Amino acid sequence: MATSVFIGAWVAAGLTLFMFSFLYKDNPFFRFGEHLYVGVSMGYTIVRIHYDVMMKSLYGPVVQEGKWWLLVPALLGLLVLTRFVPKVSWLSRISFAVIVGFGSGVAIPRIISSNILQQVQGTLKPLLNAGSSRFGMAELNALLILTGVLTVLVYFFFSIEHKGAIKIAARIGIYFLMVYFGAAFGYTVMARMSLVIGRFDDLILFASRDYAYASLVLLILVTLGLLLWERGSTKLTTGGQRRSS
Amino acid sequence: MRGLAGKLLRLDRRAIFVLIALATLIPLLYPVGLPIRVSPEVKRVYDHIESLPAGSVFLLSLDFDPASKPELYPMAVALLNHAFRRDLRVVTMTLWVTGTGMAEKVVSGVASEYGKRRGLDYAFLGYSPGGANVIINMGQDLNAAFPADHYGERTADLPVLGGVRSLRQVNYVVSLAAGTPGVESWYVYGKEKYGFELGGGVTAVIAPGLYPFLDTGQINGLIGGLRGAAEYEILIGMKGKGMAGMDAQSATHFIIIGLILLCNLFYVLAPGTVVRSFDPSAPLRTGSAQDGPGPSTGLRTGPSTPLRPRTEPDEVTGSPDEVTR
Amino acid sequence: MTLFLRRTLPLLLTFLFGVAFAAQYYIPHPVSEGALTEISVWLRIILGFAMILGIASLCQVHYAKIRTRVAGWGYSLVVYLSMLITVAVGFWAGGQETGTGLGWIYTYTLLALQGTMFSILGFFVASAAFRAFRARSKEATVLLVAAILMMFGRVPLGEYLVPAAGPVAGWLLNVLSLAARRGIIIGISLGGIATSIKIIFGIERSYLGGRD
Repeated sequence: MATSVFIGAWVAAGLTLFMFSFLYKDNPFFRFGEHLYVGVSMGYTIVRIHYDVMMKSLYGPVVQEGKWWLLVPALLGLLVLTRFVPKVSWLSRISFAVIVGFGSGVAIPRIISSNILQQVQGTLKPLLNAGSSRFGMAELNALLILTGVLTVLVYFFFSIEHKGAIKIAARIGIYFLMVYFGAAFGYTVMARMSLVIGRFDDLILFASRDYAYASLVLLILVTLGLLLWERGSTKLTTGGQRRSS
Repeated sequence: MRGLAGKLLRLDRRAIFVLIALATLIPLLYPVGLPIRVSPEVKRVYDHIESLPAGSVFLLSLDFDPASKPELYPMAVALLNHAFRRDLRVVTMTLWVTGTGMAEKVVSGVASEYGKRRGLDYAFLGYSPGGANVIINMGQDLNAAFPADHYGERTADLPVLGGVRSLRQVNYVVSLAAGTPGVESWYVYGKEKYGFELGGGVTAVIAPGLYPFLDTGQINGLIGGLRGAAEYEILIGMKGKGMAGMDAQSATHFIIIGLILLCNLFYVLAPGTVVRSFDPSAPLRTGSAQDGPGPSTGLRTGPSTPLRPRTEPDEVTGSPDEVTR
Repeated sequence: MTLFLRRTLPLLLTFLFGVAFAAQYYIPHPVSEGALTEISVWLRIILGFAMILGIASLCQVHYAKIRTRVAGWGYSLVVYLSMLITVAVGFWAGGQETGTGLGWIYTYTLLALQGTMFSILGFFVASAAFRAFRARSKEATVLLVAAILMMFGRVPLGEYLVPAAGPVAGWLLNVLSLAARRGIIIGISLGGIATSIKIIFGIERSYLGGRD
């Protein structure tokens, strides 16, 4: 096994245990890991912006392909950075106006088409296609979907008072929403547990002989470290209390 | 009994953490290998790739970061294995900056197992900022969106991208997504106008939200969570991380179901319990010996204690430093 | 003139770009398509610069902590050092990751740290479920039952014990949950379109920031 992989395994296992130490309580190991994560991800992002945006999308096309007009968006991009200079920060509004205007403009027709028209079509089409066939499970499902969509929309319509028939419809909508939130919760549990499984999988791998039992050794060291820190904090607290009394 | 119920409700959460850790660790060390039923939505992605003739262009967008690796990386491995087996022209990319390293690793790793050559059989375009805007750009002119691939080679010169001027020439797009930009961005800003076939692979958190689009055919298949990855591995006859994690998934789910049922049992046994219906038109009550208003998800500690100023960390939400999203 | 540049020009630009690219969707003329292609290239470049904003902001926060020596300033030093080392290694590697120092840092630090940070949530989900997930009302009971059916039916052990659990969970997802989610999607989309129109017509100006 390459030395870099061996050392990397120890580093990864150690950092994983540092982060898991938060489950005991907030402590310096976790804080170190948390700040290290912020720094590394910032550094990585800077590298990616340089190579994937500046070099590939700007420098290459402008210098190597002669697309000089791309200096205009580069200038607009630089104007964004004037946000940090209070006297000229208003210049950044020009760039944000372009970004927001374009984003809002392209979004409108696409969202109307995909999120509204197609969804409404999807709700009504099964019912319209039912025809004179027997009322089976498919037809019942289509009816339930239509009921659910309408009652949920009624629930979220706050411009009229929810009373009478509107109130009944809104109450039915709430039950549909509760089913959705329950399903979402169940899936969220699945997702979070998958993340735990993923990390434990790596820790088990790094606990093998090939990696010199990295996870186990580091678990003992981190536990000892936490105990020492806990003892140190307790002494500091009790010492402080004695001095004040 | 009621006293015990009250005490157990205030159990130190670290005991629950140890329970979850054991429920995860033991099945991973001693797997059982229970059978997994393949769901129709996962099979639709598989069937579509099966139907593509050799040489078809398959675009895999790895729109996730390391936080979602356990769920989506096994999906990527399974899909790439399938695509390379079918001799498809594989084009990969990512819309998430911190996912670039993982995306490169997975595609080059699986490609090397099949003896596939970069530039000839597959391409990794890398990362580009802008999310939905990148998709629009690719839909208009792929070479303008990615003038060079991740390694600096001009995309216009890559044989694998021969004849592919935009997304209109792509036969199938699958987005493996952990959020936005993701599957939703691909069908709103991509499929809507450029008409390619789209499939989705997502984390379990966002999977339930995509079923309406599956129903209307806006996405032709959906692989959801680690379970979905396991199902896809079964379909292609591969034993991967997806299947390996399912026993632990079963154990942890059952632990949590048990905890929820116990919690409700103790809640019923604890004194002053009243179950009533939510009335949205009722005025908000500030606290009483009865339960608070609403279909509560329990943001208070006890079922019948009036609201009082806190002198200790919130037992439900944890200490002020607790990591939450 | 100053007021025109500070307020009117940005609003005018928002309006022009908004209307132009909303209309562009319905105009398949080559000039229209060409404009969309070109402006989307521009946006990618501008957004690349905008990403620097977030990083610069974080740098400012941590630098202030180091300068004023507030409690925990040592951790801010960790942020700066790790960032600078990563950048230096990244440039040394030419932005490539396979077999380089940048790839090592990515695989053995970033992957481990970010992966573990969000996996901690799994433990807190279990703890919160035990303490807070109570059937206090009929609606909460429906939520609870749906959640339990989903957790039971979507794992191999649940389907092994009760074979019908899988199809029931599937039905909940494909019918009842789908209906509610569709209603939410339509509602959110209508709200989003209204907000976009307000932005284009200058009624909503919060994106400009500051006074004027």
